[in-house]
Amino acid sequence: MPFVRRYKDMNTDLNALYKDIVSELQNEKDLNIGKELKGDVNGVPFMSVTANRTTVPKLITGTLREVTVTITGEKEDYLIEMHTGEWFSNLAMPYMGATILVGPLAGLAAAGTTGLMAANYGRKLKNKIKELVKKHSKEKYTDEKVETFT
Amino acid sequence: MRKYKDLNTNLDGLYQDIKKELQQDKDLTVANETEGIINDVPFKTITAVRASLPRAITGTLREVTVTIAGYPDEWLLEMHAGSWFGNMILPGAGGFLVAGPFGAAATVGGTVVLAAEYSRKMKNRIKALVKNHSGKAYSESKIETFVS
Repeated sequence: MPFVRRYKDMNTDLNALYKDIVSELQNEKDLNIGKELKGDVNGVPFMSVTANRTTVPKLITGTLREVTVTITGEKEDYLIEMHTGEWFSNLAMPYMGATILVGPLAGLAAAGTTGLMAANYGRKLKNKIKELVKKHSKEKYTDEKVETFT
Repeated sequence: MRKYKDLNTNLDGLYQDIKKELQQDKDLTVANETEGIINDVPFKTITAVRASLPRAITGTLREVTVTIAGYPDEWLLEMHAGSWFGNMILPGAGGFLVAGPFGAAATVGGTVVLAAEYSRKMKNRIKALVKNHSGKAYSESKIETFVS
């Protein structure tokens, strides 16, 4: 599920913010940095990092598969996009906590409670990014300076 | 995501051909492969990511993940094609929700690899490969598609 925020008038050190986000991904033992892209896209600075799950999950439905964080823009006007992907999310039946697979594939689809779940990880990383934006911004963080796109 | 039944598919052969397909795309590089057993069910997954900076951002292909899990006569295939800032496109207007410095970066060019376009191409390619690696006749009644 992609999640985009636009930040304005924060005077943020985007390089430092990006480096701290990369460190955050590197600190997660189940993830491995697969690719980093840095440069300008039509004159707009752009940095993107993708980390992939490198271990076989114990259970699959809803388990974190990959994370991509992208920062684009200037220190006074920029966007951060966070994408967390999960396996077979469309096999989970809403409100029932169940899955729609039976037979030999059922074991595959059972949702776990101890694994690295995409929803939990996404929430944790979102909060961490908020903390890092505050850390690397010279101007005060206020809700009026932030717009969220879901 | 699709569930395939009664096709007697060579899942290793299928996976290898999908991997080749991803490797042959000059815009992509294979970043991760994971293989194992989950609760007795064989599982293979491959992720290819964009190899270079895009010329434009919105809707451009960012990563592709293909996962195969199950047995020759009952298995699942999931394909995910991710794009940058997909939720900032204004429907019907071909524009971008945010103006200002992002306008140029967001512009969708005629030559960029778009996730939606790639996804369609890959889906058709996978269908051909499934037929190629299956020991039994392919028919729509053996396939179930799940959408989110």
